Amino acid sequence: MNKIIAVHSYKGGTGKTLLSVNLAATLAKKGKKVCVFDLDFRAPSLFAILKAENAGCWFNDYLNNTCEINQVLIDLSSRISGSGKFFAGLANPSTEAIRDMSSKDRKWEMRALGRLLSLKKSLLDEQGFDYLFFDTSPGLQYSSINAIVAADLVVVTTTGDRSDVDGTKRMLDELYSLFEKKTGLVLNKVLDSSATARKAEMSNKVKTNYHVPMLGLVPCFCEVLRAEGNYIFAQDKPDHPFTKILNEMAGKIENNQIS
Amino acid sequence: MLGKKPLTVLEKIRENLERLNEKMEVIIEIQKNGGQRAAPALPDASLDVMTLLSMPDHLRKTAMIICRLGRATAEEIAEQTNRARAVESAYLNQLVIMGYVKKERKGRKAYFYIDRENQS
Repeated sequence: MNKIIAVHSYKGGTGKTLLSVNLAATLAKKGKKVCVFDLDFRAPSLFAILKAENAGCWFNDYLNNTCEINQVLIDLSSRISGSGKFFAGLANPSTEAIRDMSSKDRKWEMRALGRLLSLKKSLLDEQGFDYLFFDTSPGLQYSSINAIVAADLVVVTTTGDRSDVDGTKRMLDELYSLFEKKTGLVLNKVLDSSATARKAEMSNKVKTNYHVPMLGLVPCFCEVLRAEGNYIFAQDKPDHPFTKILNEMAGKIENNQIS
Repeated sequence: MLGKKPLTVLEKIRENLERLNEKMEVIIEIQKNGGQRAAPALPDASLDVMTLLSMPDHLRKTAMIICRLGRATAEEIAEQTNRARAVESAYLNQLVIMGYVKKERKGRKAYFYIDRENQS
């Protein structure tokens, strides 16, 4: 089952946070209980995207074992229509916290993995959450690999940029294959306007090039860029094509149709 | 007719064979290391993700599952890897020797676990 979903990429700026928030919101709109966590401790951004006040504790504090997970969760369900629940766990954006998180040793990282894994029991089993999203740091970071190991499904976002394509391929072949993780690739900011119509062909291309199934294809929408992170598209723009694509991807995740 | 007793005896034999198997594993490992008992990579080696990455494939598979489960028997691991229980038992014992996994016996069962909290 795809309950814990890590969203990762090789390069930054590929749309991980946008996708994490909007996929989580899409599932919440369908009545699910969902939480999205910011695991990009080097460049936290979820607090800005969601314009949320900190709950008193940061997700950093949970991983540091100085608070419980419920002290981290912020209930943002009022922003989503319907009976679903939408929560967030934020990373501390202060320079001090970023410095602290980047100087952790292996033992700490091992315990942090344990804390991530125990969310399955505390949030999924005991509190009835349906999905947890980990929005990670790009590239081969400790925190990101911890998230990949703890996840049931990894969503890798990539753009057509040369700097991203080769690295993504290598990362999937050399890192992901070692962990044998269920993975789905999202081609984001696709410029070729005919690509959407040739989805089956693109899907085959992804399989040949990246050796993983395609979860979705997102054209480059100027409105998404223009929104400057001010909208939760899935909620605020229900008729936008991006929202429709999100619905398709969420459906695939729910029904385990990533192949 | 077979009563309960022969079954109990068979169970006992199986249990003893398993223990023997585990001891053999240790001996094989010691021989591989030129007669020296293999020292853990670190005084108490940590099974973090980078360590997982550097492991040989067959051990990583086992280590990944014990990582996720936290605590399990060889049988439970074998269910997830689709490999034989005896194979998993051998790999788990190797991980114990390497210092990444701890082992404790409770009654007839051997439990393998990761001691995340007690590592300083």
